[in-house]
Amino acid sequence: MRPSLRIASLIIALPPLAIVVWLFFIPFLSSAHLSFLREDQWTLRNYSLVWRLYRYDILYTLWIAFVSLAAVLLIAVLLCGYLRVHTNKPVEFLFKIPLFIPFVVVGHAMRVLLAPKGTLNSVLSQVGLINLNDPPSIAFGWMGIAVSLIWKNLALAVLLVLGAYRSVDETYLEAARNFGASAFRQIRDILLPMSAASLAVAGAFMFTSMLASFSVPLMIGSGEPPQMVMIDVYYRINYQGDYGTANALGVVSYLLAMGVAGYYLRTITQKET
Amino acid sequence: MVEVRVENVRKTYGRVEALRGVSLNFRSGALTAILGPSGCGKTTLLRSIAGFIAVDAGRILFDTEEVGGLPPQRRGTAMVFQNYALWPHMTIFENVGYGLRLQKVPADEVRRRVRKVLELVEIGNLADVESRRPSALSGGQQQRVALARALVVEPKVLLMDEPLSNLDAKVRQRLRVELRRLQKQVGITAIYVTHDQEEALALADTVVLMDQGMIVQAGTPQEIYLKPTTAFAAEFLGVSNQLEGEVTDGKLVVGGQSIPYTGAARGRVTVIFRASDIQMEEPSAPPRAGTVALTGVLEESLFLGAHYRHYIRLAGGMVMADSPDLRRPGPVRPVLPVEKVPVYGEQAT
Amino acid sequence: MFMRRQVLRMAGTVLAAVIIFGPLSSLVIWSFAEKWYWPHLFPQQVGLFYWSKVLQGDMLRALQSGFLIAVVVTVLTLVITVPLAYLLARTPIPFKPVILMIFLLPQAFPQLPVFVNSTTLLYRINQGGKLWGVVLIHMVGALVFAVWTMTAVFKSVPESLEEAAINLGASRLKSFFSVALPLATPGIIASTLLVFLYSLDEFTGTLLVGSPFILTLPVFMYRTSVGYELQVASISALLLMVPGIVLLILLERYMKSEYLSMFGRI
Repeated sequence: MRPSLRIASLIIALPPLAIVVWLFFIPFLSSAHLSFLREDQWTLRNYSLVWRLYRYDILYTLWIAFVSLAAVLLIAVLLCGYLRVHTNKPVEFLFKIPLFIPFVVVGHAMRVLLAPKGTLNSVLSQVGLINLNDPPSIAFGWMGIAVSLIWKNLALAVLLVLGAYRSVDETYLEAARNFGASAFRQIRDILLPMSAASLAVAGAFMFTSMLASFSVPLMIGSGEPPQMVMIDVYYRINYQGDYGTANALGVVSYLLAMGVAGYYLRTITQKET
Repeated sequence: MVEVRVENVRKTYGRVEALRGVSLNFRSGALTAILGPSGCGKTTLLRSIAGFIAVDAGRILFDTEEVGGLPPQRRGTAMVFQNYALWPHMTIFENVGYGLRLQKVPADEVRRRVRKVLELVEIGNLADVESRRPSALSGGQQQRVALARALVVEPKVLLMDEPLSNLDAKVRQRLRVELRRLQKQVGITAIYVTHDQEEALALADTVVLMDQGMIVQAGTPQEIYLKPTTAFAAEFLGVSNQLEGEVTDGKLVVGGQSIPYTGAARGRVTVIFRASDIQMEEPSAPPRAGTVALTGVLEESLFLGAHYRHYIRLAGGMVMADSPDLRRPGPVRPVLPVEKVPVYGEQAT
Repeated sequence: MFMRRQVLRMAGTVLAAVIIFGPLSSLVIWSFAEKWYWPHLFPQQVGLFYWSKVLQGDMLRALQSGFLIAVVVTVLTLVITVPLAYLLARTPIPFKPVILMIFLLPQAFPQLPVFVNSTTLLYRINQGGKLWGVVLIHMVGALVFAVWTMTAVFKSVPESLEEAAINLGASRLKSFFSVALPLATPGIIASTLLVFLYSLDEFTGTLLVGSPFILTLPVFMYRTSVGYELQVASISALLLMVPGIVLLILLERYMKSEYLSMFGRI
């Protein structure tokens, strides 16, 4: 590359790069820095506070992320297998809709649907399935968050998994069908192993996004412990102005995402370069 | 051994008629090649027999059993695909044994039968088939594995969809010989789809020529090659020269020549003949009985290895003639034995 | 056998519709409910009262500022991303892996704890609670989408087409404008719409940087929802869904699934 071209290309790259570095990369590093500071003193107190106050919240967050991810992947793997073997355009279209519905709206919709006095309970009470004096609350608990995350992420998972399945040539399936493989065997023996790599990337991506979900638990969380980690970070800053602990909690969330994030970053950049 | 019968089978995709009433018998134990250009319906026919496509009308019978309504796995066919379709995440052994495992055959019998069939198709090194994946093999070897995978379930009918087209010329010719040997050895009814006329002629007991969803001609390779019944058949089977002509009052006018003609065709006709059937004579040589003599100018000669190919311009077009010797460009008289000049009426094309 | 399969298929489609539309349908009912006593299945009194009420109040302002921000974000992002995406797709630009990595970070790590500190930085230059602060924080996410999708778009234009133009004497710049850009236009439009929708729907950054001075529709909806103004919140939610659904229907045919998958982050 000619030197003048090198300089020109760096100038072109500079503005977008500057914004992301200034407003993401530096704040990212500074949260690590601030997490060790308390009243301008270097200390580990923030982390001991995180351990004392938030260790169950961290487990709670991981639990929700794992359960939601497992549910999303299980449903997507089977549903996409069905859609791949027997095409069903209407269902395929339906499952694209949540892609275009923002997380906040999903949170609100699920709040209206799943609250103790929500629409679901009134439907169920009509058929006499629940007791009106003690209506179950799915929202305001981990189930409500999980249901919302599953509902929203299922669309993405269906899109990615179906894409991976579609890139498996039809003849691979025909060869199996020829020997009498049922739809389930075609999914288990052919589609799933042949698209395992794409599935892993999709899973990594969704796991981080669930771990970091903020608007959904904010909308349908109960306001009482246990909370998801992002809510803790937000409350810590909004109500206590305690940046040290909030950032320590933030660093913990980075570490939780680290394993999958590393895998995700590596595969995506390898694919591109 | 099973005889496959197809009766008046039709299949339409949207407005395209892929099969327009095809009726055919595939002799039991024989290898039948379905030959035709792409889009002629040959693959649709094969996949209808396999059960991957539901036909709109007509019957498909294996001996006396009608299989038209059965799903692929209940028909007892096994298919070999153009791209091999070997599952890349399974070892060679797992690929070949998959059909048997689906039938819940005990593991040691699977092992025995897989080994036997791999020997049959002459996969050279049997030691590491349980650890190696298909991608470690050459294309030719992969297609042998695919063939083994199809044969191991002892199907009633072996279906092959252009199995050799992805291979390079040398491997293709070698595998052709082996396919033929194997099919005879196993004695299975085999149907082989190809667009390569040489392959069809070399392999098959019976060649079926298809065009536009219909059967044009069926017969032994010799019949098909030597006595094509239509202009399309002749052209597709590699007859290189084609001239437009007209028959009026017992005369055939072709290439600027008027020749006595006693055949059945009338009106506009197509005259088709092979480059190797033309002899070239000096324009001054005396005419010979039983030949058709044309007048032309030799423009160019190309050396093709086995022979020269001469390009001769006639009044009504260009013809090619093959001969072992090089000739100088200039006026020439292409001469054809009368019996080697089939004339096809307009409707037959 | 055939009938049974048809029936099962219908049942599956209906089930899918219930799963997708079920949660959304209560929004529609709530938006028209003037009186709805639990546990009745339907409201006692329906009407357009809340629609007419919200369409003149705070919501309209939130809608306006949200649109303004989205337009500014989209234009700025487009202008600075197209040249960079072209470079990333075509040339061995220095530090390419590092650049790509930086543009992937915001997708790989939780945003909220980072944005908490970004907010501090923006307040330090006096842009907290201001329009430009919100625009900048939106651009972080928007740039990530735009760089990745547009790089893919330019990569999908065969390089040989440009080489042919350069071979005939066109400069690099000329070949970009006369070959690469026209061929990439459909992809760039898709990517632009994606950025627009992202900015319209962005919640976390807007809440941290803009609230309570700059309100966009998602933040407005959040505040009304947790304040139990369920009709107002439901109407906002429905309005928020409109651009996305319109895009989905418009782009169904034209959009490749890689672009579509980007929407999952919003």
